[in-house]
Amino acid sequence: MKIALLSESPADEAALQVVVEGVLGHPVTLVQPPLRARGWPSVVQVLPAVLRHLHFQTDTQGIVVVVDSDDSVVHDVTHEKPGFHHPGCRLCLLRATLRQTLKHLPPMNGRARLHTAAGLAVPAIEAWYLSGCDDTVLERAWADGLAGGRTPYTRRDLKQRVYGTIHPSLPFEIRCAVEEMSRHRGDFRRLEFDFPGGFGALVRDLRSWGAGGPPEAAR
Amino acid sequence: MIASIDFRNFKVLRDARIELGPFNLIIGCNGSGKTSVFTALQTLRHLAVRPVVFDNVVTPASPGSLRFRFRAPFEELEVCIACGADGTGQTLAVVGGTEARHRWPEIVARLATLRTISLDATALARPSPPGAPIQLADDGSGLPAALDRLQREAPGTFAQIAGEFCRVLPEYRAVGVETDADGTRRLWAEVVGENRRLPAADLSQGTLVMLGLLVLVSTEPVPAVLGLEEIDRGIHPRLLREIRDVLYRLSFPEGGRPATQVLTTSHSPYLLDLFRDQLDEVIIAQKHGAEATFERLSERADLREAIGGASLGDLWYSGILGGVPDER
Repeated sequence: MKIALLSESPADEAALQVVVEGVLGHPVTLVQPPLRARGWPSVVQVLPAVLRHLHFQTDTQGIVVVVDSDDSVVHDVTHEKPGFHHPGCRLCLLRATLRQTLKHLPPMNGRARLHTAAGLAVPAIEAWYLSGCDDTVLERAWADGLAGGRTPYTRRDLKQRVYGTIHPSLPFEIRCAVEEMSRHRGDFRRLEFDFPGGFGALVRDLRSWGAGGPPEAAR
Repeated sequence: MIASIDFRNFKVLRDARIELGPFNLIIGCNGSGKTSVFTALQTLRHLAVRPVVFDNVVTPASPGSLRFRFRAPFEELEVCIACGADGTGQTLAVVGGTEARHRWPEIVARLATLRTISLDATALARPSPPGAPIQLADDGSGLPAALDRLQREAPGTFAQIAGEFCRVLPEYRAVGVETDADGTRRLWAEVVGENRRLPAADLSQGTLVMLGLLVLVSTEPVPAVLGLEEIDRGIHPRLLREIRDVLYRLSFPEGGRPATQVLTTSHSPYLLDLFRDQLDEVIIAQKHGAEATFERLSERADLREAIGGASLGDLWYSGILGGVPDER
């Protein structure tokens, strides 16, 4: 299966590939050249063009997009209600962009529509790497901190905890990303529990691919 | 190493101070004083190795001056350089009493390693004639000689550089130096899938800068202070992360290597994007008419709110960070 990962760095991409293959249960081939975004809000700006490119110019079957939440609204179950769209939630915005762009595209390259999966790393992907190692790093803890005006940790803290430095080299970051995501051995229930809005949403989208269910964009 | 520099009537800097950390990315518009900082460093190195004056207090009567303060263990010491109207350093006075006098030889030894470098692709590609210096020059010339020396005297380091070069630029599978019959050394790189060596003259600007940088940071002795101008020159935006990492290796070394204080300049919003979590490492050079000042981004109380969901590079371009050209 050929898929595209739209992320901010090769390290994020390496981590996401582990997740995607773990959930789908088979290896995937990544579209070349790798896609990259400069972070929010560049992702939503380039996403429609990326989708049209993948749809018309490639035989890619699915796209996975993950962004950092930074200090934005954390996605939660209340955002999942049919027709609901939180304007401050990056995941809701990603989903809306995916949906609005894909619904206008005609069938192409032997597939009706690209499968899509979107995730939100709260506040950054390093938080996911700490799942099972640091019980204080949780989506709930971050959301509560945001609501109270005092976040429990910073992106910099997370880097320090994961890499032992705030200045990791890219190869080291990639190695850590793969190691930490591989630690779950394809069973991501702990991550889904710790990060239900951002990681859980991603996994649910991916499972719908395997089950032959409708891609997010069709909902 | 250097904690701060005070500028008075030095080049475009009428009255300015720059506070320095282990790593410093200086951004700003043209003519905002970035290069003046490098000139000040060169002046310090140039005068420090000459006979100096020791005094308790110095208030130079010269048209311009530079005042350097240092970090521990040299925090008691201050250097004041009197400059001519054209910015040329004339005399150097060490301020700080007896302790400063005792400490001075130690700091001179470190300042003698200070380097300011502006890598130039043409210079990097130039063959090294016989007898050429085996150290990379400030414009990058001497790269073949420097690599050749590593290949012969430090094969482990050479292999590390070659390996990293091929990892960052995977279109190449090898890099090396060949020597002509007359002793001239020439750089080459071998492209993956092609059974031929590309001469340095056929390598891209970014490729040469990347290789020059790898050699620079891997060669002993490491400088105590390194100024690197326009480090993004010719580098693809996706490779800027690698450039940053290479420089971080100098500023935050592992394995007990001495740290190098790095000052670098850039006009790339893409490079600035990489410092979102390291605002304390970014200095904005602000131009106000004919004058300029420096401000560390982490000192901007409004910034966290201003960033919101935007990228740092976009914010800089927008003008709200300052450091943008004047418009009529």
